[in-house]
Amino acid sequence: MASAQVDVPGNPTSTGTALLETATAAIQGFHPINKIHQHLCAFHFYGDDMTRQVEAHHFCSHQNEEMRQCLIYDGEELGAKLIGVEYLISEALFLALPDEEKPLWHSHEYEVKSGLLFMPRVPAAVQRKEMEQVSKTYGKTYHFWQVDRGDHLPLGLPQLMMAFTQDGQLRQDLATDVEKRYGVSFEEEREMRKHMTGPDQGIHPLANGAGKGQRLELREVDISLVA
Amino acid sequence: MSSSDQEPQPAPVAGSDGPTPPGKAMTLERKLIDEGAQILQSKKPVSQMKQHLCSFALYGHDPCRQIEAHHYAARLNEEVLQCAVYDSDSPSARLIGVEYIVSEAIFEKLPAEEQKLWHSHAYAIKSGALTCPGVPEVMQRQELKGLAKTYGKFWCTWQVDRGDRLPLGAPALMMSMQTGMAQPEMVKRRDEKYEVSSEALKESRKEMPEPEKIHPNADYWKLHGKGFAVDVVQMDMNSPPALAASAI
Repeated sequence: MASAQVDVPGNPTSTGTALLETATAAIQGFHPINKIHQHLCAFHFYGDDMTRQVEAHHFCSHQNEEMRQCLIYDGEELGAKLIGVEYLISEALFLALPDEEKPLWHSHEYEVKSGLLFMPRVPAAVQRKEMEQVSKTYGKTYHFWQVDRGDHLPLGLPQLMMAFTQDGQLRQDLATDVEKRYGVSFEEEREMRKHMTGPDQGIHPLANGAGKGQRLELREVDISLVA
Repeated sequence: MSSSDQEPQPAPVAGSDGPTPPGKAMTLERKLIDEGAQILQSKKPVSQMKQHLCSFALYGHDPCRQIEAHHYAARLNEEVLQCAVYDSDSPSARLIGVEYIVSEAIFEKLPAEEQKLWHSHAYAIKSGALTCPGVPEVMQRQELKGLAKTYGKFWCTWQVDRGDRLPLGAPALMMSMQTGMAQPEMVKRRDEKYEVSSEALKESRKEMPEPEKIHPNADYWKLHGKGFAVDVVQMDMNSPPALAASAI
């Protein structure tokens, strides 16, 4: 993958540990995880730095027709690192958010229409129905593990991530790498998605950081131990 | 600002009335697309989650506020795990955050500023606050022995417990259960649901090894009486040169 290959420190899993976990996995329930039904591949950039860009593999489940919650990994193989989360909501839900919240969310119209956002291994004709809906949604993404700068562990603060909104923003090498590995062509898919539309009321002016960069900062606070 | 310790502005999706999250029920078409994706796509990273852990977490900026947290843990190696955290174990559970767990050895090598964001697990495990639902205690003890000396870092992205019907604001840093903090009603409810007794688990885990000393930088609020909140700050975006040049 285009993200820096980082090795996680630590001894390999022992046979004993692996066996124990296989046994417990067979006994326990994993309902929330079993609901994860979709894999979406897309790109994010850091909310304060568009030059830092990451390939992001979303594993999503629907809470309902209008809301999805996704685990984000830096790849789709067995050792992939869980680097963040994303929530996707319909336009209707986005419009009901407080105004101070809206800038934390990004639009998906460009990503979908340009072909950059896709469902690996699902035939293009089938995924287009899904993409028609996604094109109208807004997303909120936090990353916790900055693999692109070579972090071997999830260090530092969460990073608010954003999605591309026009041509010329995504690095060509990242795009080409994905196209090659998945045997897709963003140009061709863009043609096929020409008819798709974004939010019915247009992309809200407060979305996508309201045009500004955003980052998270830590603040020490007094705490009370009396409830 | 959408700080992690600030109540959200009033809005239809901030607070009480209605389901969490709001939204129409899934259409048949959506379900069919989902089923199709299920068959065609692989979910290898997600399939690596082999443990369900249930515990209680405290808000780092307000340790008296606590939640029941369900961790679905995947092991990266003997010393590192990554967990998707939900607010329950049901199919409709909300994804409320992510926790990373590392061994004592790895934790000790982290920079001091980083260590302050992490919490210990020994108390939560040995007090019985943390349990592996459905797993016989004799097996749990084996699993948890390996976790009692670990440290965790947990970011909560959806404060369902304060009534947020959608994930609002900045992520909140969470801390682990510590002495004297457990809310008896919450523990009782959890114990009844899973037919366990925290007291009995505590008894069974008396001899479990724990760190000789919890690292002084972990569980920051305990030693320092201060917590951490997270703010969102606006600034100019750092753009790729070609775009910056073309912007007026």
